[in-house]
Amino acid sequence: MVYHPRENWSPARRKRVYTRRDFLQRAALLGIAVPALPSLLAACAERDAEEGVELAIGTPANPVQQPLFEDNPAIESGLSDEEGPLQLYNWADYINQDVVIAAQDALGVEIEITTFFNEEEAIQKISSGEVQFDVWFPTSQVVPKSVSGRLLQPLNLDYIPNLEQYVWPSLANPYYDQGSRYTVPYVLYSTGIAWRVDQVDSADIEGHANAWDVFWNDKYAGIAGLYDSYTDAIAMALFRNGLGDPSQASEAEVAAAADSLIELTELMNVRYTIDGAYVQIPEGRMGLHQAWSGDIINSQYYFPEDGDPSVMRYAWPARIEGTSVNAAISSDTMAIPVGAQRPVLAHKFLNFMLDEESALLNFEWVGYQPPQKGIDTDLLIQDEWVPEYLAAAVVREEDFELDTAWVQGQLDIATETLWSDQWNRVKAGG
Amino acid sequence: MPTNLQAGESDAVGQRRWVWPGLALPGVVWLLLLFVVPFYAIFAVAMGRTDPIFNRPVPEWNPVYWDVSSFSRVIGDLFGGQLGTIAVRTVIYVAVASFLCLLLGYPVAYFVSRRSGRWRGLWLLAILTPFWINYLMRMMAWINLLSPGAQVDRAFFLFGLDPPSWLAGQHYVVILGLVYGYIPFLILPLFGALDRIDERTLEAAQDLGASPARTFWRVTLPLSKQGILAGLVIIMLPMFGDYYTPNLLSGSPRNVMMGNTIDQFINQTTSQGGTGAALTIVLMLFVAVLMAYYLVTIGRAAKEARE
Repeated sequence: MVYHPRENWSPARRKRVYTRRDFLQRAALLGIAVPALPSLLAACAERDAEEGVELAIGTPANPVQQPLFEDNPAIESGLSDEEGPLQLYNWADYINQDVVIAAQDALGVEIEITTFFNEEEAIQKISSGEVQFDVWFPTSQVVPKSVSGRLLQPLNLDYIPNLEQYVWPSLANPYYDQGSRYTVPYVLYSTGIAWRVDQVDSADIEGHANAWDVFWNDKYAGIAGLYDSYTDAIAMALFRNGLGDPSQASEAEVAAAADSLIELTELMNVRYTIDGAYVQIPEGRMGLHQAWSGDIINSQYYFPEDGDPSVMRYAWPARIEGTSVNAAISSDTMAIPVGAQRPVLAHKFLNFMLDEESALLNFEWVGYQPPQKGIDTDLLIQDEWVPEYLAAAVVREEDFELDTAWVQGQLDIATETLWSDQWNRVKAGG
Repeated sequence: MPTNLQAGESDAVGQRRWVWPGLALPGVVWLLLLFVVPFYAIFAVAMGRTDPIFNRPVPEWNPVYWDVSSFSRVIGDLFGGQLGTIAVRTVIYVAVASFLCLLLGYPVAYFVSRRSGRWRGLWLLAILTPFWINYLMRMMAWINLLSPGAQVDRAFFLFGLDPPSWLAGQHYVVILGLVYGYIPFLILPLFGALDRIDERTLEAAQDLGASPARTFWRVTLPLSKQGILAGLVIIMLPMFGDYYTPNLLSGSPRNVMMGNTIDQFINQTTSQGGTGAALTIVLMLFVAVLMAYYLVTIGRAAKEARE
């Protein structure tokens, strides 16, 4: 259930009182009266307040501040800690257990983690108001809708000095949330291509102005995969077809990109997976897959005992010399949901995670790199945090500035719907 | 059955009249809470709108505001659109998989129920134990067996054969996955039905000069028909909604089943959640037709048995 900003929604109003007549009328429709019904029925109230929601969607060239709402204030400075346990809401395997233990010691509370399978599910659960988490890990692509949909509470940066101290300036004040009103950055990733050198000729990727074209190279039919994620797959096809900024693609261009993907079903026998890059390539089930850089740094640990991780390669087409195509780069965030029961602890947890030591410890296991000033990306390779042959998977601050980089943010609703429609066409098998 | 009671209604019967409905009450409440309400909720989502911020379906509880566009979209696409292709593929997968289940399962059920002697319990156990393991785990085990260079491939190499890429979107691999996943649920009711056949009917057939084959065709098979139907219904219903088998064993758009499409509408491209809900209901209606056929057949058989 989603609460509309115009409704002037507040936690107190969520328990909206229905008149007996309202209730009976609605209960009669169902023929029964169930205790949980009033909350389900609250959705009815929104029907009339539908049109014209402006989301604050920024781009690096056009940074935005997320709106603040009077009825959704940040917590005061200098409050004392609440009782634990602190509730985290995260993707599976997206935080190092050792960091969680260190955070427990530092904050003096238990920390419990609940995981979600995909972001749609997370948004659904948080907006239902049925569960109250203290910290959530949204991607930067859902920050605008999460703010306007009143899922997040503003941050009081007094509690988070580490943001200024340790985090890359560009992300301590990011384009999607100027002034870090609602979020602090978590980890970074580029979206590129991963392959095994024993199955794929590296020259077909690194020696090409259009590296994405390798997914249409039928030499590799049967061993190629793409992410089962419509934003990633369609953006990739748009890049391959020569578009620089997928979010600005016209309807015809998106349809053409979908056609290009449909072609892959027969031409390449392409498969859409989520674990293709970091599990199936190491296991030899895939030779070539679209890949998030963090997955690839992680993939070394997924090789079977007799496997050789050094066959793994990664390239981010935006940084390939002489490239004519763009590629995506983005970051995830940490935020505090509106219904958090322990906001003070949550702020302190965010601060803890932004500390250089915890950030590095987290990277060690998660494989996704934190945007830390103190972490010299060249040192990551020198000190063997990342093996030499996967050096391309390291993300640098200047990567976000490249002309060939598309900093992936939220798509506006119309574009999202257009891409969804086309994606369903792709997944239906053409 | 109530006809007998209505004829001679006595006071005692009048008092008793509320006993059985009373006992059924918890079940009825259960059904209302866990079937009718969720069903209405799916309907409300199918008839609802999309939220302007999250681009996600918002259920419309009030029939006055119902919007049938999701349904018309689904129906339109089922006849002549891509959904039609997926529906046909799903029906073929389920039909072939069910037929194979029956082909493989019937002899097993027959053997265990009538020919396995004192090892019967052990045989049953042997059939059932693999299924104490979660379905997903078993499919993942298949992924390991079918991976390039893994056990199945090595068996092929042994005979100098060149194995196909099993996991690269093969129709037969998905069908075999379905067969493997669901076959015990066919064997069990079949075992029950075959076990109930009175040995004397078979002896009678043979005494009257029927060959073993003829006995099977004319006596055993017809007497186990209910078991076959029950088993088929039990496996076909979940197969129609299956999506993790093609997901795990393929991942290619050419193996997409109805369940995958629903999953995608609802979990991925949430702006089409309403279409997903409408598709769910259409699929339910289709499956309900199968179910109705089963119930009618069972009812007819029961009636024949009584006469």
